[in-house]
Amino acid sequence: MKALMSVGALIGVVGLLTLIGMIFGVVPSNTVRLVEGYMPMQVLSELAIFVAGFAGLSYLLNSMGIVFPRFWQGILFWVFIQTYLKFRIYPPIPFSVRAMYGTVSFVAVFMWVSANEEDWKKFKQPILNVLDANTGFHKALRTMYLILLPLLIGGFSFLTMRPSVDEPIELRTVHPAPPASTKVHGKTYTLQTSQNPYRVNPEGKYDQAYSNKLIVEQSMGRLMAPNANPWDEKAEGYLKYVREGGEIFFQNCHFCHGDNLNGRGLHAFAFNPIPANFTDPGTIAQLQETFIFWRVAKGGIGLPTEGFPWASVMPPWEQHLTTDEIWKVILFEYWHTGYYPRTWD
Amino acid sequence: MGLIGNLTNNLGEQVVRLTMSKLRTNVKPTLVIGAALGALLFSASVGGVGVGHAADLPAGFKSGELAPAPPADMIEAGKRVYFTKCVWCHGVDGAGDGPGADRLWPRPRNFNQGTFKIRHTASGELPLFNYNERQVDSGKNDLFDTVTHGLPGSAMPPWEGILSEEQRSQVLSFVTTQLVKDRKFTDKQSETQTILQMSDLKPVEANEESLKRGAALIVDKKCIECHGVEGRGDGNAFNLKDDWGFSIQPANWHKCWNFRGSRQDPYNVRNIFRTFSTGVNGTPMPSFADNTTVEERWDIANIVNSLCERDVEGKPLSIDPLTDKPKINFVVPSAPIEGEISNDPENEMWKKQGRRYVAMGGQITHKPRNFVNRIDDIWVRSLYNEKTVVYLIQWDDRTKSVAEGKLPWAPTQVNVENFGVKEQAPKTGEEGSIAAAQNNYAVYNDAIGFQFPIKWQEIPAPFKPRFLFGDAKFNADILKWEADGSLRSFKGTGWDQDFEERDDFEEKVKLLKAEWKNGQWTVMISRPLRGDKDDYDDYTRFDVGKYIPMVFFAWDGHNGDAGRKMAVSAFYYTILQPPIPQEVYIYPAVIAVGVVLLEGWMLTRRANKKKGKVL
Repeated sequence: MKALMSVGALIGVVGLLTLIGMIFGVVPSNTVRLVEGYMPMQVLSELAIFVAGFAGLSYLLNSMGIVFPRFWQGILFWVFIQTYLKFRIYPPIPFSVRAMYGTVSFVAVFMWVSANEEDWKKFKQPILNVLDANTGFHKALRTMYLILLPLLIGGFSFLTMRPSVDEPIELRTVHPAPPASTKVHGKTYTLQTSQNPYRVNPEGKYDQAYSNKLIVEQSMGRLMAPNANPWDEKAEGYLKYVREGGEIFFQNCHFCHGDNLNGRGLHAFAFNPIPANFTDPGTIAQLQETFIFWRVAKGGIGLPTEGFPWASVMPPWEQHLTTDEIWKVILFEYWHTGYYPRTWD
Repeated sequence: MGLIGNLTNNLGEQVVRLTMSKLRTNVKPTLVIGAALGALLFSASVGGVGVGHAADLPAGFKSGELAPAPPADMIEAGKRVYFTKCVWCHGVDGAGDGPGADRLWPRPRNFNQGTFKIRHTASGELPLFNYNERQVDSGKNDLFDTVTHGLPGSAMPPWEGILSEEQRSQVLSFVTTQLVKDRKFTDKQSETQTILQMSDLKPVEANEESLKRGAALIVDKKCIECHGVEGRGDGNAFNLKDDWGFSIQPANWHKCWNFRGSRQDPYNVRNIFRTFSTGVNGTPMPSFADNTTVEERWDIANIVNSLCERDVEGKPLSIDPLTDKPKINFVVPSAPIEGEISNDPENEMWKKQGRRYVAMGGQITHKPRNFVNRIDDIWVRSLYNEKTVVYLIQWDDRTKSVAEGKLPWAPTQVNVENFGVKEQAPKTGEEGSIAAAQNNYAVYNDAIGFQFPIKWQEIPAPFKPRFLFGDAKFNADILKWEADGSLRSFKGTGWDQDFEERDDFEEKVKLLKAEWKNGQWTVMISRPLRGDKDDYDDYTRFDVGKYIPMVFFAWDGHNGDAGRKMAVSAFYYTILQPPIPQEVYIYPAVIAVGVVLLEGWMLTRRANKKKGKVL
């Protein structure tokens, strides 16, 4: 038991030191990297490790005869959660969300310290000590609180009331409801019934399962299946269309959507809304192929109002590409990311 | 900033004097001797220090062994990675001629010659690559680090988190053995490895002394001849070419986040030291390892690093890890000023007002698209008084461009494709590519512009006139300054509509300053807050404390920018900051008093309870 707890304590101390070091820049801030795509799992497991570490630490200190009051345990644990949320998670989460998490974790800590009468007494004893001011130290502490609290609260309300020039928040719908049909280059496409004419098996039939067997999943960097090279001179049918789509993508789209289709192209940093990340399971993976066709053909300017058509730099690609080229690019985007388009039923 | 400013000013003078002394036959001897003496003194004081002791090796370098050849299965696996991820730009034969190549500048690397830019090896040598070494930033695996971190300022992205370390090693095994055709990474006969020992070298502290020595050295070693007097890449090297004959431009030291070798750590002086020590193969940037001591190189790296843009307090800008560029704040605040607003950017009132970084991307929405925009950011500040609001815009542009003669189109014309302003065709081959066309364009005017919504007060939120010159329903109020000295005011009614002129307003806008100096434009534009009457049909009325959407446009005349071929920003907001109202001081005081009363009540209650009294 003791050995186990010592290991836990060691992990806790090392983790804490690394985190603090990273926050204050003692060690490089990317010492422990957040891996794209796995962040929620990583954050949860990191927190679990920390909790185990703290438990070990507390056990070890106890067995060494050092009593760490429950009062400070509760407060420090809450402070730790807040620090972690603020500094560790990237991209940063807004203050309002952090405040919500803060309240939830506060309630949790409160429940922990007031689980039974004895614990609760232990927890509130330091507070009562200060209120009663029986010793000189406590008296000094009480005087300090009496002066500091009004100052801090007054100062805080001054800071919040002072006019600020923060960015105004505007909520934009990323995937607005599509129209029933769209007219591109003189032809009308009904979104529910249209199909990508190039997603075909060797028999020339629309076949989603066939097309997606040609890419294999390996973490984020999905690769083509062995012997499924679209650049093979003998590549025919679906694979040939993938290559043609890729050529169009890398002549037109990668400037914003990036070489790995992750929305980090050359010009992406300048634009807001940011270009879509196709490797994110929340974009093309959960949309229908015809929805993508509509978005590509009509671009930002063709969005409904809730999509903020005035701000998006997405070109209406019907101005630059033929209908066939648009379908091929869409084919390539699914091939490269390894996702299936969603079906209508 | 004061020290740096002084240093660079002094530098400017020195360069002018040096150039003058070159022109005249009777060279002023004192200066030259002084410089030589200085250099001697420095080298004497630090001579003999360094890692490489072998007589023929430059200081700081050591001889190394060639890495073992990667096994066949790694090469085969790497081929799959290459033909999924890399082929699109680097091409089937690795000649840097994939489908994306012709619209890129810099062009993708042609692997065939084995010429690689960012290395720890001596000039001309192959970079370090070892399929067994998977430690990022170890200094032992240059190509692995390049694939991991990407090459900022080019289209090469960081592949970390996308390809596993194994996959990165595999693809490099394929590239180095199959696509590098003229040289062999394992050929002991023809290849040597002389490796810069970065881990053994300790940076010299960037104190005033070191910066002073560095400032003298960048003149002495002729760095500024290409990189410019202030290091903005605007030296007399306008048409430099790389080994393949493509135009190449010297790095702008003020944008360290665009350094190819910055390894996603742009303010790290070690990256500059490495590039300066090893040179950049395939480009005119030589290695300075043979004619500088290690200490001199640290001094130079320190001064170059110190020139990279910093915030008001002199701290490095925080870099967004998602984009590897400075973090963006989309609000351009305008501070109130009593009385006249100075037209001198060095004036205290301007220095106090923090700059805002405005990121610029190519206009790639409508034809003619601008795939390569040479202006990728501008810095904006704003002040206002009771009558006018003034915008001070500064941006780096290596060339001052003013069109010769009269432009063939009217200032209001936006659709100028008929006059030869065309977008790059998708596939042209090397000769017709953007990289080949750079610096051969017809020269138009450098220009800057910005737009506000006309009558924004009446536009229901969240509507805005479209970012590209407004639309038919909501019009844009556009101000455009061009390097021929004109400042014009237009009404924009859509991306494909020529501007409408608004003559009556032009008399009221003022150009307070427009100057190009050492690779930087400084333009200051003043406009009235409101018109004479309260009728504001034709221009934007500024109300204090309101967020007004704003979009910036920039044209680089030497990039062939005109009409819609330009750089453009996202929507920013400008806001006239209100003077702080009195309530802000009163209410917190009231709250504090309330807290004191609450404390008194609590203490009384506690005391009573202890005494057994019940309230």
